[in-house]
Amino acid sequence: MIHSLAIIALAALIHASFQLSVSMLTLLSGHAIGNKTSQAKLLRLTNSFTFGVAVMTVLILTFTAFIIGSSFGVQVPLLAWAISCGLLIGLGVAVWAFYYRREKGTSLWLPRGVAHYLSDRTKATTSSAEAFSLGLTSVVGELVFIIAPLLVSALVLVTLSPELQLVGIGIYTLISLLSLLIVNGLIGSGHKLSRIQKWREDNKHFLQFAAGCGLLILGFYVYVNQIVAVSAHAVGVL
Amino acid sequence: MTDKAIDIVKRGGRRPSESFSRPKLHASIRAACLSIRSPEGVAESMASDVCDAVIIWLETKPEVTSSDVRRKAGDVLASFHPEAAYLYKHHRVVM
Repeated sequence: MIHSLAIIALAALIHASFQLSVSMLTLLSGHAIGNKTSQAKLLRLTNSFTFGVAVMTVLILTFTAFIIGSSFGVQVPLLAWAISCGLLIGLGVAVWAFYYRREKGTSLWLPRGVAHYLSDRTKATTSSAEAFSLGLTSVVGELVFIIAPLLVSALVLVTLSPELQLVGIGIYTLISLLSLLIVNGLIGSGHKLSRIQKWREDNKHFLQFAAGCGLLILGFYVYVNQIVAVSAHAVGVL
Repeated sequence: MTDKAIDIVKRGGRRPSESFSRPKLHASIRAACLSIRSPEGVAESMASDVCDAVIIWLETKPEVTSSDVRRKAGDVLASFHPEAAYLYKHHRVVM
């Protein structure tokens, strides 16, 4: 049980290292403060955004787990684990190669048209409902990268009891939101956006390296634990 | 002075050129200063100073790009408030 929840926690930590939601939250709060929005409204906007991210994360995770559970039951086939390992390792290398663009700032891999559209929508956001939907969108926008940790977590979730599934979903959502909650807290407590953004820019290569390493480590661990160990057990080596 | 008779070529060159607008530049500098929680009076004052400096710089230019104006305004703002200048210069490369 602990072992399963640990996999979910590591996958969520990798999810938390992806930065599209944090970038959008930084832009959203920067423009709100620049427009002399009151602190109460600023908090409503940032909290709505964070809540939107949480809701979409839960929806995607539970939907993926539901599909896997409906397809395979609690016995996940080796092929599904193998696919998730391939995704984790492939995305780990992809994160190292092109998660951030090679230019100043914290420009992400997103096509520039999409990035400008999201940026313009974020700047134009003035209501909590818009901020909530932006939060939903930011998770979908980063689906290419978060699909691997989500898939592994969903594969683990279906093997747990219903109570533990709820615990697992809670752990995943909470940990995956950590970076967003920290930035939200810093903005809410009056920290300067320039310092937050400067920290993000100064440490972007470390975050990129850590996310790539995390994906590779998780991929290798799942490969050994779910494929090699199970195969060896099946042929009587272990 | 509000608008100045100098063409600003827009980013990417796809949108038509437009005249330099002091209020537009003023508003963007002011917003950058407010974003780092500068008091409103300080933001107004810095925005006015930056606009004055940019207009002097524009005197000898028949045509500039919006990126040139942004770069020059950012450089001038950096001498008043480096943190505001950082946000002003980097707002397009946040994501």
